[in-house]
Amino acid sequence: MRFWTLLRRDVLVAWRKKSGLYQPLVFQLLVVTMFPLGLGAGAQTLAKISPAVVWILALLSTLITFEHLFKDDYEDGSMDLYYLSDMSLPMAVLAKAMAHWITTGIPVILFAPIIGMLLHLPNQSFGILLLSLALATPIFSLLGAVGSALTMNLRNGGMLISVLVLPLMSPVLIFGAGAVLESTLGNSAQGHLLMLLGCLVLAISLAPVTTAAAIRINLE
Amino acid sequence: MLFAPVNLELKPRQLALLSGANGTGKTTLMEAIAGIRLLSAGQVQFSDNNSHTWQHHSHYLGHKLGNKGALTCAENLAFVAQINGLDVTERELSALLASAGLAGYDFQQASDLSAGQKKRLAVCRLLLLNKTFWLLDEPFVNLDHAGCDWLFQLITAHLDQGGAVLITAHDQQNITALAHHHITLEPA
Amino acid sequence: MNRIVKFYHELGSPPSFYRITQHWLKPMLLLAVLLGVYGLVEGLFFAPKDYQQGDSYRIIFVHVPAAWMSLFIYLGMGIAGIMTFVWRMKVAEAVMMASVPIGALFTAITLLTGMLWGKPMWGTYWDWDARMTSELILLFLYLGVMGIYSAYDEDPRKAARLASLVAIIGLVMLPIIRYSVVWWTSIHQGSSISLMGGASGIQDWSMLRPLLVMALATKFYYIYVLLKRAQTYLMKTEQNKQWVKNVVSPHGAQEVSS
Repeated sequence: MRFWTLLRRDVLVAWRKKSGLYQPLVFQLLVVTMFPLGLGAGAQTLAKISPAVVWILALLSTLITFEHLFKDDYEDGSMDLYYLSDMSLPMAVLAKAMAHWITTGIPVILFAPIIGMLLHLPNQSFGILLLSLALATPIFSLLGAVGSALTMNLRNGGMLISVLVLPLMSPVLIFGAGAVLESTLGNSAQGHLLMLLGCLVLAISLAPVTTAAAIRINLE
Repeated sequence: MLFAPVNLELKPRQLALLSGANGTGKTTLMEAIAGIRLLSAGQVQFSDNNSHTWQHHSHYLGHKLGNKGALTCAENLAFVAQINGLDVTERELSALLASAGLAGYDFQQASDLSAGQKKRLAVCRLLLLNKTFWLLDEPFVNLDHAGCDWLFQLITAHLDQGGAVLITAHDQQNITALAHHHITLEPA
Repeated sequence: MNRIVKFYHELGSPPSFYRITQHWLKPMLLLAVLLGVYGLVEGLFFAPKDYQQGDSYRIIFVHVPAAWMSLFIYLGMGIAGIMTFVWRMKVAEAVMMASVPIGALFTAITLLTGMLWGKPMWGTYWDWDARMTSELILLFLYLGVMGIYSAYDEDPRKAARLASLVAIIGLVMLPIIRYSVVWWTSIHQGSSISLMGGASGIQDWSMLRPLLVMALATKFYYIYVLLKRAQTYLMKTEQNKQWVKNVVSPHGAQEVSS
C-alpha cells in the first residue's frame, strides 16, 4: 500500500541521516543540564519541577525537527512524486507524520526516563510519564506537520513554526504535564490521560486535512 | 499574468516544444499542466475532462529532480514504482539502471552521484512508469553527449510507441526538428 | 429580501465595497469618538466608587471592552478567513487581514490594562489566572496569523490564503485552549482571584452604562479602522485595476481626501 511505501521511505531517510534522530536527544541533555546549573542541585527543588521540565523538554526537542518535514520534500522535488500520484494527500500527510513519530517521538519517549532520573522525578511517576508522552508525541508530530506545511516555502521557517504550533500545543502540555504532576502527588491521572486521548483523536482527524490544504496553497 | 495566452493541442505521437526567454514562465506553465500549480487564468483540458486521469497518464520531470539523496538509486526507483502502484523486482531495476548508464550504482546513495548521473536517475523514472504523456522541463541539462543522445533516442522511441511529449529545451536542434508544435511564450 | 441579497453581493466586489463603505467612514468615526468620550468621561469621573476597590477599578472601562473586542475580532477574523479560504472572496480577504492588527492591538491593551489593574489590586503586575493566560495565548494566535502573512512577502495572495488557514485553525482551537486553561487553573494551587472581576458582577446601572457605552464605542472604532484598512488593502492588491486608478487619479482626488 502506498501509505506504507511513503512511511517506509521517510523512516529510511531519517535513519540514514542520523542527525535528525540525535538532535532532539542531545538538545534535551544540554538543556536539562541548565536546570541544576541555574537552580542548584537540590534534589527537592528539581523533583518539584521535574514533571513539567521533562515534558517541556520533550515538547521543545520535537519542535526543532518540524522544519524539515515537508520542506525537504519540496526542495528536492520528491513531493511531486506523491502529490501527483493516486494517493490522497491527507493520507500522505498521515504517513509522513507517523514516520516522524517513529523516528522522533519514540526516541523521545524512550529517552524521557533518563531525563526524569536526572531531575529526580519521583519513582511512581515514570509509568504515567511514559504513557502521557506516548499519547502526546503523535499529537506533536501531527501538529508539527501542520506547521511544517504552512511554512514549506520559507527560507527560515523555524521561528514561525514555533509561533504557530506552540499555542496549539498548550492543551496537550496542560493535560500531559498535569498527568505527571498528579501522579507525583499520588492522585489518579486518569482524567488527564483521557483528555490527552481526546486531543489525539482530534489531531488525527483534523491535522491531515489541514496540512493537505496548506500544502496545496503553498504549491500554487 | 506572466505570459500572453497560449493555445496548444497535444495528441499522441506528437512533440510540442515550449520556448521563450528566461523568466517568461515556461516552468510555471509546465507545472500548471502537470497539476502542481493552479493556473490563475486559462484552462488545461484533457480528452475526457478529468484531471485525475491526466495525472494518471502523465509524468512530469522538472528542474528539481525528485531524487531523495539519502536513498540508493534502486530505492529511489522502487519508491517511485510503488507509489504509483507498480510492482518491480530488483532485477528489473538493475537492468533499468544499466540501460541508463548507471550499472552497478544500485546501492549508491543518490547524493553521491554527479549532476549528470542524478539526471540519468531521474530520467529512469520515465522508463519505469511508462506513462503516455511526458512533461520534460530542460531534460538535457547536465547530460553529457552520450547522455543527450540516449535521451533523444528515448524520446523518439516514446513517440513511435504512441506517446506524447511536451518539452522545454534550449539549443537542441534535433528536438526542434522533431517538434510538431513550436510554442514561444511572449511576456504578457 | 432581494435588496439585502443584492447589497451583500455588491459588498463582495472590491470597487463597490470601496464605494459603499466610503460613506460609512465619517459616521463611524464620529460615533466612535462621541461614544468613547462620553463613556470615558462618565466612567473615569462620574461613575460611583466601587465599595471594595475605590477608584482603581475604573480601568475596567478600558480593559473589559478591549477584552470583548479581542475575542469579537478574532471571531470576525475567523469567519472572514473561512470565506477567504473556501470562496476566495477578495473582500473577505481584505476584511480578515485588516482585522488582524486591530485585534492584536486590543489584545495587547487588554493585557496591559490588566497588568495596570493588577498592581494596585493584588500587588502584582501579572498573575497566571485563566483569563489572562488565555488572553496571552490569544495574542500568540494573532501573532501567528500576522507572522505567516508577513513571511510570504513575494506573493500576497498566497500569504493571505495561508493566513486565513491559520486563522481558521486558531478559531477551532480557541475553545479547546480556553477550556483547557480554565481546567488548568482549577486543578492547580494558585490564584483563585480573577483579575477581571467579571462584568457580570456589576449590578449598578450607573457603573454598567459607561461600560456598555465604551463597548459600543470600541465596536464603532473597530468598524472605522477596519474599513479604512480594508480599503487600503484592496487598493494595494488590486492596484492594476481600473477602479483603483480612478480612485487615485486627480479626477477622483476629491473622494480620497474626504
